[in-house]
Amino acid sequence: MLSSSRHAFASVILLALSARAQAQQQVQGFAVERFYSSAPGAGWFAMDTLDMHGRLGGALSLTVGYARNPMRVTDGSQRFAVVSDQAITAIGAALTYNRWRIYLNFDAPFAIKGQSGTAGGYSFTGPSVDLESNPDTLSDPRLGVDVRIIGGPTSLFRLGAGAQLIFPNGNRSDYDTDGTYRGMVRLLFAGDEGLFTYAGQLGVHLRPLDDSPAPESPRGRELLFGVAAGAKLPVGRSGSLAVIVGPEVFGATAFQSFFGSNSTALEGLLTARLEGTAENRAQLRVKLGAGAGINQQFGAPEWRIVCGIEVFNHNQVQ
Amino acid sequence: MRAPINPFFARSSFAAGRLVRLLCVGFVGHVLLASALARAQAAPPAGHEEEAFDLMNLLSHHGLHNIEMESWNLYGQFTYISSWKLPFQAPYTNANGSINSLVPDYERSFTGTFTLFFGLKLWPGGEAYFVPEVISERGLSQIRGLGASIQNFELQKSGSETPQLYRARLFLRQTFGFGGNDVVKTSDPMQLGTVVKSRRLVLTAGNYTFLDVFDRNNVTWDPRQTFFNMAFMTHSSWDFAADARGYSWGGAIELYWDDWALRFGRMASPQHPNTLPLDLRLWKYYGDALELEHVHVLFGQPGAVRILGYRNYEVTGRFDEAIAAYQADPKQNAGACTSFNYGSGNFSAPDLCWVRKPNQKLGIGINVEQFVAKNVGVFFRGMYSDGKTEVDAYDPADRSLSVGAVAKGALWKRPFDVTGVGFGMAWISKVHAHYLAMGGIDGFIGDGNLRQGAEGVFELFYSVNLLTAIWLAADYQFLWGPGFNTDRGPINIIGAKVHAEF
Repeated sequence: MLSSSRHAFASVILLALSARAQAQQQVQGFAVERFYSSAPGAGWFAMDTLDMHGRLGGALSLTVGYARNPMRVTDGSQRFAVVSDQAITAIGAALTYNRWRIYLNFDAPFAIKGQSGTAGGYSFTGPSVDLESNPDTLSDPRLGVDVRIIGGPTSLFRLGAGAQLIFPNGNRSDYDTDGTYRGMVRLLFAGDEGLFTYAGQLGVHLRPLDDSPAPESPRGRELLFGVAAGAKLPVGRSGSLAVIVGPEVFGATAFQSFFGSNSTALEGLLTARLEGTAENRAQLRVKLGAGAGINQQFGAPEWRIVCGIEVFNHNQVQ
Repeated sequence: MRAPINPFFARSSFAAGRLVRLLCVGFVGHVLLASALARAQAAPPAGHEEEAFDLMNLLSHHGLHNIEMESWNLYGQFTYISSWKLPFQAPYTNANGSINSLVPDYERSFTGTFTLFFGLKLWPGGEAYFVPEVISERGLSQIRGLGASIQNFELQKSGSETPQLYRARLFLRQTFGFGGNDVVKTSDPMQLGTVVKSRRLVLTAGNYTFLDVFDRNNVTWDPRQTFFNMAFMTHSSWDFAADARGYSWGGAIELYWDDWALRFGRMASPQHPNTLPLDLRLWKYYGDALELEHVHVLFGQPGAVRILGYRNYEVTGRFDEAIAAYQADPKQNAGACTSFNYGSGNFSAPDLCWVRKPNQKLGIGINVEQFVAKNVGVFFRGMYSDGKTEVDAYDPADRSLSVGAVAKGALWKRPFDVTGVGFGMAWISKVHAHYLAMGGIDGFIGDGNLRQGAEGVFELFYSVNLLTAIWLAADYQFLWGPGFNTDRGPINIIGAKVHAEF
């Protein structure tokens, strides 16, 4: 009898220890950012105008963005932002030729902050990245290629495809990398009709990392989707400048839990950009966007503000 | 007109007129960036020859890019350096629990770097530069035991064999012209092709290295093209503010007035000596540098003289205070450190960890370059620092000099080959030596004992050019007094390098 009681007591202790061990399971971190800035020269913030044309041209871009609370977790009783502040500078370069584009994009986070806590039996450690402690960090660079398959650079309907290879760089605990190679394959579409312009994408994020069931964490491959539409208004009589104003809506959902509310990020940005329209010489594009998470899960922030500057050049004719 | 500076950097044009113009007017353009710069952790790029196979030349030759007045440019480089250290004599190594000796056994070290240089014109006179870099490395004895003569300038204090991608530079430059003659700046890494005035003000701000702006030398120019040893990259005893890779955040102002230039810069210092995190409170802790430059023509050949003074105000330890603290209370020893330290296990030695507080470091040096023929140049650098405080960012030397010559192979019809011979010496102060002799260590040296002497290096290299864009180099270095300790050494190091530019 005594022996049986001891066994029961030991079992309870083991179970408790096991539960405690589970409660202390540490989430290692991952790339929380799901705003994948478009290729340099692509016009929109996240979508692609697919207007590559001419002889050898190119673009250089600098985009600075801040996202508030892009990763919050809760288990009903507790709610905290594992990543509460995320400020990233994206620097990119692209070469275009005819209907092709190849580009390289670097994300340089200068602040990623968050809170630590436990939720759903998982322990989260908030990141602490800033310019002082990480003066030279670059997170996962992206190498991409896009091509327009159907349509001309200004036609009503343009269809293209794009692929990106994402190289791992950085520490998972900083919530700016998965620590694994990733890829993206996307179907892109865009068009112009008079003052109206639009663009969209549908793709797959090839993501090996699956941290389920840790809340808000990656669950393997994701579907990428997005659409943008706006009005393109010439500025001045010469028409050498144009303003494009319109919203962009984009998101991602894990195939494993397809469009489940906890595994789907959906975000909207109201964007405006001023750009030069001349051919055969370098043009400047200045962009500004602000928006919020429509479904604030899975990396969609509470709100976001982004601005960008690009120099681009289409060598239309020699 | 500003005197021509560096014949090595002439874009030897296919057009004679352009060549003459470049030789007569444009070399100042190279000075800003295509010069000696770099540092162990921050090698800057060399100028590109016009015949070189690189993207900008390729686009330009096909009429797709205006290389003389650029709105953007993109260059890249790859360098792999391997060094083999032969066994050497050492009566003691890491004595009494110290940890900073160069191991006397055979060792191999390597570095591999891959760099992209993006440049973008923002507005008239305004330029932005972004330089991402990947490095993989293995140092000799974990980069311990050598003071001023580390055998490979590419080695970083925070590197690892696993390739690391980082942002080496991200900075803005604004140029205001004040008249004078036109100065052609040719397209190069971190330099857009453009024309500036010989009288101008240049502001630089952002993330870069002190060596991008100060202490250039057009004879030793880009270490990736010339000497392997760090002793020839800049003044060994200039403890310029930088993180563990050699870069920092800050700003500089340069006034060019024909043959004269005056520069002042301030950069952030590391939070702890020789570590990556920076203290960005530039108003509180900083490294300042002031440089006066004059370029000249002597017997028809260009040359330059630069006087550089620096003052650091950083959280460091003074050697005399560390010694006094240990003598007053032997419990304040190296093995018992509770704050930031280098991990010494010597319980009978002083340590700087007990006395770190805001201190200043001062130094002054001279940098002379002179071409003696069209493709042959000689150089001299010498600097004296106060030697009262520990190394905060560069190397432990308190006094240094280097002298040598570099020649291009035009004389033997190999115009892109490069060869050079150099001699470097460095010393530490008396109180620094006393601290080391008691068993103390600083960031990189400390054998647990010391017989004070100079640390020196003799280096000879030859670099063979292939296909205009690739260089293969062989190198020999003879080092003595490693860690300023004449009890140890001498050391023979053989090196090889593959370098490509595109």
